[in-house]
Amino acid sequence: MKKLTIGHLYPDLLNLYGDRGNIQCFRKRLEWRGMEAEVIPFLSGDSIDFEKLDIVLLGGGSDREQELVCQYLQDIKIDFQNYVEDNGVVLAVCGGYQLLGQYYKTEKKTIKGLEILDIYTEWEPERMIRNIILNSPLFDTPVAGFENHGGRTYIGNHTPFGKVFFGLGNTGKSGYEGVVYKNVIATYLHGPLLPKNPHVCDYLLEKALRRKYGEEIQLDPLPDELEHKANSYIVERYSDKKYVLKETIKRYT
Amino acid sequence: MNLRSKLAVTCAKATSTLIKKLNRGSGVTLPGYVARLIDPAILSTMSGMVREKTIVTMGTNGKTTTNSILYHALKAEGKKVIINRTGANMLNGIISAFVLATDKHGQLDADYACIECDEIASVRVLPQLKPDCALLTNISRDQLDRFGEVDITFQKLKTAVTSVPDSTLIINCDDVLSYTLAAESKNTCVTYGINEQIFDEISRSEIRESIFCRTCGKKLDYEFFHYGQLGIYRCPSCGLTRPNPDYTAANVDFHDEVYSFDMDGMRIDSTARTPYNIYNTLSAYAALMALPAPTGHFKDMIESFDYGNNRESIFTIHGARVQLHLAKNPIGFQQKISLVLKDSNPKDVIIQINDTYQDGEDISWLWDVDFQYLADANAATITTNGTRRHDMGLRLKYEDIDCDSTTDLKGTVETLTTTGTKNLYVIVNYSGLYRTNHLLAGMDDNRKEAGEK
Repeated sequence: MKKLTIGHLYPDLLNLYGDRGNIQCFRKRLEWRGMEAEVIPFLSGDSIDFEKLDIVLLGGGSDREQELVCQYLQDIKIDFQNYVEDNGVVLAVCGGYQLLGQYYKTEKKTIKGLEILDIYTEWEPERMIRNIILNSPLFDTPVAGFENHGGRTYIGNHTPFGKVFFGLGNTGKSGYEGVVYKNVIATYLHGPLLPKNPHVCDYLLEKALRRKYGEEIQLDPLPDELEHKANSYIVERYSDKKYVLKETIKRYT
Repeated sequence: MNLRSKLAVTCAKATSTLIKKLNRGSGVTLPGYVARLIDPAILSTMSGMVREKTIVTMGTNGKTTTNSILYHALKAEGKKVIINRTGANMLNGIISAFVLATDKHGQLDADYACIECDEIASVRVLPQLKPDCALLTNISRDQLDRFGEVDITFQKLKTAVTSVPDSTLIINCDDVLSYTLAAESKNTCVTYGINEQIFDEISRSEIRESIFCRTCGKKLDYEFFHYGQLGIYRCPSCGLTRPNPDYTAANVDFHDEVYSFDMDGMRIDSTARTPYNIYNTLSAYAALMALPAPTGHFKDMIESFDYGNNRESIFTIHGARVQLHLAKNPIGFQQKISLVLKDSNPKDVIIQINDTYQDGEDISWLWDVDFQYLADANAATITTNGTRRHDMGLRLKYEDIDCDSTTDLKGTVETLTTTGTKNLYVIVNYSGLYRTNHLLAGMDDNRKEAGEK
């Protein structure tokens, strides 16, 4: 039986915004296809053998928790970089996305990142909080989620994850959101990201399976009616100009 | 009271009357806004007219219940008490509570004021209210789309309490966040906590706020967890230790669906069906003792106290038992699931999830609730409803739990109460509460009979 091992990094520090839903989505979509999923939570201070991992999830945390996690990241930095360069699959959300970069400059401190992506993040007092929808060249279906971040992420020459259809994205001004690099998806989208966007989940699963078992691997489709309903509810809501206007007025009054 | 304050009160009252006449809602926040527009210092003036003491209650969970216990305890001692209405816990709502309680001369006739206050609003409310006592129930994640992060909530509350250094804090010392907050402020502090494990596995909620010491950043050691990050903790590095609480509930017993416990030399045979109501009772009692306020009738009052608070109403529809529950954040929802599981009878469950601003637009918190237990809840059917019914459906699907969805709540209740298990749970988040309560009350057998006669 085919099996993937998923490393959940530091859930004791990074566990905001329903990260658990992303893990559960990976797990169930493998199980429903008759494959096995092993999830290993690595707590802060645990040593991590990246060679055993097929997917790494780095979730969101508060600014304070990110500061704490930063010291542990420096210990695994080289191994993590090698894993990514060796086409290891990574999903990094919110704080995890920021930590993949050079640094995150918060209100008081500068948190050193993993330097896997050539990006940096700077904090601004006004948080960017709302539903968000992207159109990603990787998928036919839009990606729907929720963003809640004080950091503005400047992605330089990196490829964004998607173009913002509704919402704010990396900086609130660039019109783009997230980064795709090799088999890494880094994004501000939670909600959580994967259950409502099974196409993103399957994309990552397929990458991980191909890396482990060979390029010919194809995932069987699953009955995803409910997933599509949840996704299209948000997409349709924000495709309705009247609704968007109403929400904008509400937000500023 | 000066002329300006008098004018503010008069206009606020006129506003309230107008709102009611026009039937534009209950009118609990706009009058406060009007009063503040005319007299920015109206809240200090009003709270200064309270004859004895003012208590403010804050925190993520249990505010309304705790405030209600305080109110009823003081009433039982024959005191005149002001209380703000459920939900009206922002600055304007609190001002409304005061100005609408005045007599026709604009004078307040009150011995005590029991005020529930929102965490963000606390920064503006506390310096004006200058409470004798500030009770903090607990701090955990709630409406993150409004608060940003739990750490921001923490900072707001800390700013609020340090602005009133003469107020005594009533602190749940089992919550390391609350206890650290009290330690970092210079206020006098009275603690309450529970030394024994009273929460079952299902209600314990694995999702917790940071269990890393806020002083030195090291991970705390726990003897056990109550729920969330609440428990008996100790920092192995700097020595921060959960203190021995000033007030505690001991020999906690769960029998015939209700809890009894020892508290300050009394045996309380409570009507509480959930363990967190022991905390609410204990915190209210600690506050009364700290004020100090008379407590001669506390035992009698609490033993007949209705913890329901309109948030846990029970109806009879077509002879079926229908319970309405409010669950608006992960910790609260987990407690409800535990409650559902304590009932071993077959049941139907409806879960309504909305995402208005009041509810929180971000529904990712659903994934912080341990829904997998519902698989063993002996539920014949589970139906999702509300704007985010499909997200709720997905949450259950990814635990391999079957469910249906509906946009016709009334029709579904009608069907389930006639052909279902005759034991229906309806769990809603905030914005659906009043409408659903109204809907179910309108379908209640007794109500209909009363109306027909």
